[in-house]
Amino acid sequence: MMLAITNARLHPVSSPAGRGGLLIEDGRILEVGDIRVPETAEVIDARGRPVTPGIIEAHCHAGLSEEGIGWEGNDGNERSDPMTPHVRAIDGANPEDKAFRFFREAGITASQLTPGSANIIGGEQLVAKSVETVFIDEMVVLRPSGMKAALGENPKRVYGASRGPATRMGNAAVMRKWLTRARRYAEKSNAQDPPDFDMVLAALLPVVRGEIPLRIHCHRADDIRTALRIADEYALDISLEHVTQGHLVADLLAERAVPCAVGPSMVHEAKVEMRGNGFENVARMHRAGVRMCLTNDHPVVHGRNLPAAAGMLQAAGVSFDDALESITRAAAEHVGLGERIGSLEPGKDADVVVWSGDPLDARSFCDVTVIDGLVVYRREESGC
Amino acid sequence: MLAIINANIVPVAGEAMPDATLLMRDGKIEALGTDVEIPGEARVIDARGRTVTPGIVEAHAHVGISEQGLGAEGSDHNETTDPVTPHVRAIDGINPRDDAFREFREAGITTALVPPGSANLLGGSAVVLKCSGTIVDDMVILDPAGMKAALGENPKGAYGQRQGKAPATRMGSAALLREALVAAREYMEKQDAAEADDDTDPPGFNAKHEALLPVLRREMPLRIHCHRADDIVTAVRIGEEFDLCYTLEHVTEGQYVTELLAKHRVPCAVGPTLQHGSKVENRERDFRAPLALAAAGVPMCFTTDHPVIAGQYLALTAGIAVSWGMDYDAALAAITATAAEHAGVADRVGTLEPGKDADVVIWSGDPLDFTTFADVTIIDGDVVYERGV
Amino acid sequence: MRAYIGARIYPVDAPPFDDGVMLVDDGHIQEVGADVRVPDGVETVDLSGRVVIPGMVDAHSHAGMWGDGEGDASRDGNERPGPIAADVDAVDSVNPHHRSFASCREGGVTSVMIHPGSGNAIGGLCFAAKTRGEIVDDMVIRAPTGLKGALGENPKRGSGKDSPKTRMGTAALIRDYFARAAEYGRKKDADKDPDPDAGFENALRVLRGEIPFRVHAHRADDIVTATRLCEALDIRYNIEHCTDGYLLAEFLGHRELTAHVGPGLSSRGKVEVANRDERNAALLHAAGVRVCLVTDHPFLDVRYLMAYGGVAHKHGLPFDATLRALTLTPAESIGIADRVGSLAKGKDADFLVLAGEPFRYRSPILSTFVEGEEVYTRQQP
Repeated sequence: MMLAITNARLHPVSSPAGRGGLLIEDGRILEVGDIRVPETAEVIDARGRPVTPGIIEAHCHAGLSEEGIGWEGNDGNERSDPMTPHVRAIDGANPEDKAFRFFREAGITASQLTPGSANIIGGEQLVAKSVETVFIDEMVVLRPSGMKAALGENPKRVYGASRGPATRMGNAAVMRKWLTRARRYAEKSNAQDPPDFDMVLAALLPVVRGEIPLRIHCHRADDIRTALRIADEYALDISLEHVTQGHLVADLLAERAVPCAVGPSMVHEAKVEMRGNGFENVARMHRAGVRMCLTNDHPVVHGRNLPAAAGMLQAAGVSFDDALESITRAAAEHVGLGERIGSLEPGKDADVVVWSGDPLDARSFCDVTVIDGLVVYRREESGC
Repeated sequence: MLAIINANIVPVAGEAMPDATLLMRDGKIEALGTDVEIPGEARVIDARGRTVTPGIVEAHAHVGISEQGLGAEGSDHNETTDPVTPHVRAIDGINPRDDAFREFREAGITTALVPPGSANLLGGSAVVLKCSGTIVDDMVILDPAGMKAALGENPKGAYGQRQGKAPATRMGSAALLREALVAAREYMEKQDAAEADDDTDPPGFNAKHEALLPVLRREMPLRIHCHRADDIVTAVRIGEEFDLCYTLEHVTEGQYVTELLAKHRVPCAVGPTLQHGSKVENRERDFRAPLALAAAGVPMCFTTDHPVIAGQYLALTAGIAVSWGMDYDAALAAITATAAEHAGVADRVGTLEPGKDADVVIWSGDPLDFTTFADVTIIDGDVVYERGV
Repeated sequence: MRAYIGARIYPVDAPPFDDGVMLVDDGHIQEVGADVRVPDGVETVDLSGRVVIPGMVDAHSHAGMWGDGEGDASRDGNERPGPIAADVDAVDSVNPHHRSFASCREGGVTSVMIHPGSGNAIGGLCFAAKTRGEIVDDMVIRAPTGLKGALGENPKRGSGKDSPKTRMGTAALIRDYFARAAEYGRKKDADKDPDPDAGFENALRVLRGEIPFRVHAHRADDIVTATRLCEALDIRYNIEHCTDGYLLAEFLGHRELTAHVGPGLSSRGKVEVANRDERNAALLHAAGVRVCLVTDHPFLDVRYLMAYGGVAHKHGLPFDATLRALTLTPAESIGIADRVGSLAKGKDADFLVLAGEPFRYRSPILSTFVEGEEVYTRQQP
């Protein structure tokens, strides 16, 4: 089945904007730009409206921290122990979380679902498409996409009064202790007399082997530095999440080209470690050449407002193209799916959004959302 | 009789008098100047050119009531069972054998105003006492010397945070404080009505309300602990609303509200300036506040809030203020005459003038310098400390 | 290159001289003396009437890790539940943007040794840093510079299920930990390949004499316990605070110990500091103990370290010894005297410009320099 979107103002992200169309077949983009529409194709006439790749929320707790429910819907932080690499987002995410419907209605076509930041190492992450289903497995496009980790205030606030860690140096010591144990477990596993199975250490093996990134939540500049220091000591592949004070260490981040998911920038300085939170500082990071995408850390700021966040980044001085890229291609690369999503190119997944106006203008609507070549949302008044 | 000769007398009231004599009789200053005659029976101390000042006055010190070298056993300044305890009295909690009194004498501090702590919205009544003696009633020169009140983080920390009780917020603190003042006012009005009319019965005895009557009648000040600018403004609001005499204690962010304080001429005891900004509300602590208040003409003195900073460093604090640009005479006054006014005992102490208490200090050098000693400390005409040289 | 001329200079490791000249280039002191020739074309700064001393070295500080109104969110000094946290490293807790570093520069402290707190019997690693920078690793002068230990009341207040309840319990815990660390070390040497343990590794560094054990002790009996423990283990150590040290001055003098004395300007809020005496530094010094004056910031606000020096001098610590106790002696104690602590050719250009002779309120710090860069300039409000 073919789907054609015609008369669009295309923003492929991977190439300059221009008028044209998209031809989609079997869930993939077939042609971009000057397309020939077969007679059998279903046609959506964009009537000059902007068309972009699907928006990607790179750091998202949808499904795990459910909307409109209290503790019963809260499954993001396994607070029994600061070290839970063996728990998995897939076992806790509820596809029926209203958030996914809101995502479809806002053009957010994919998100990386992650455990929270109460734990030093919180569990395995995955990337999911925002499709409607009761089976989480049908949403998953990449698993594991990373291992969640956290430094700074949260772990010590959760565990400080009881078992520790209670300080930042404690956070770092706990992380190092377990990475060392995992490394040793890896060495012993290859030897003659392998050790007994240990679920926690086994879950860390892909991290110490550099197979999946350790995605480290950090806000304050020194916590950012601690994350980098530990990554160096253990030769880890990492990404940094939130990076609120990244502007204070922008040169270091740019030099190391470490991927950063920056945000939620639309909130106030909610914690001491979030002092300096704001789009001006994100723009400074961007100008310094930091490799970054934008996130709303749904539900801290709802993921559906990601285009508006990018609009605010544009207002802070970043170009439209770069702001759009920060929530599409850059986010795709951040989560490890740069080959499949994030831009309109032949061969990539057909995750596409038709907008009523400038996608980064908060007054614009998402008119049509296409995921894997299927129309998953059509706004009634859009006339599409 | 006691006489100090060959002294560089700095009376604080009036010009310094080099090569002068100070004569004391029966615990009072009899005369001072360059041509004072010394009666034969007087004991004579030769100051050998050293500076002589009034005894230092600490206008806000928890000496005796938060004791040195002890833990909970010596901590008696916060009755944290109820945020409103105007009926407790500092005099009932002071231990004259607190070793800090010795340190005060050795630092030339002769008078201290001792208030309850700041955990409570209304903490109780303060006293002013001399820093020498074994029975506190014999040491006291003014009781009650004010009613302690507190705003800001401490009451809501002690009750809201730690006990889950009211007050839990700043607005809650102000509301409870007002409630206590209004209730006391109604009690007072009922008493007055009963007095005027034989047929009307007076209200039943209420210790808390009784304790607040002198405050409502402007017979003694409400002394309000506040650090942050918004708490200072709340304190002024309440003080003006109830038409009270009031002072402000600590006033850490005073530099932001100098106009308001100058307009109402609110007396301020500023400090402990040497302590780091230990809480969010005093995070900006440095010498800007006292300098700005002094420059704006707000009546101010320094305090160490002993034991937060050890009281013996009061003069050192004034010296550092001078290094930041405060006028020397004003800085010295801020630990003597102005402090005495703040404490309500300026009729008796704070300056060297005939008729005032013979509270005198002979210094080894500039009294405000780090390395200067109090060589001789005299309280009520008695030598209570003499540094063995 | 820049030439600072006209000041009275206290190099500390040499007698002071007037009308001094100090040539600074590339962050280092190139020359310093009374008759140093200023090369042609070099920018000159006239410091006539001023006094120049080395940047002060604070050998016991919690700068960047707690205090200054930052609240619990920024309180990172005492790991829980304890009582042993030998595996933690203060470097991981220090925030270079914490206002305490601005306070250090204002107070004339250019180098600090930052310690974990004293809530744990063994608290973690200490390190030495310059007091300016954005990234802690760039500030580090030397790391680690010690392993923190604590005796007395504080470790007993711990809430962990293994926390000691008595002084004898605290000493036993420390003794036991070092014994197990030694056993771990023997296993490694014998190629028995024990599971890696960062805490034991740090304790081994102490046992092998690489870094000292820096023991917090106030009360006289706690100081003696510290000496007993450390001598039995045959390790390098020093005493932090040493509040009752003057009561044991000869005992400590015989042992050629270093005491980090402080904080000052404070009252005696615990039973174990009931005997605090301002003559402590002077009496220890007279008995041959190497004395450093420390702030334990924030307990003594580091902005007032110079005033504390004045008070120690007032109570009998000779002028030269006081100046040394704030500069070279702590640099030696920390292990960074090759770089800081005195004004000498080749050392870092860390220095202070005072309005007059030190230890007087009329001689405030006008400027603070770290490696030739002016990092603080006094502004009258």
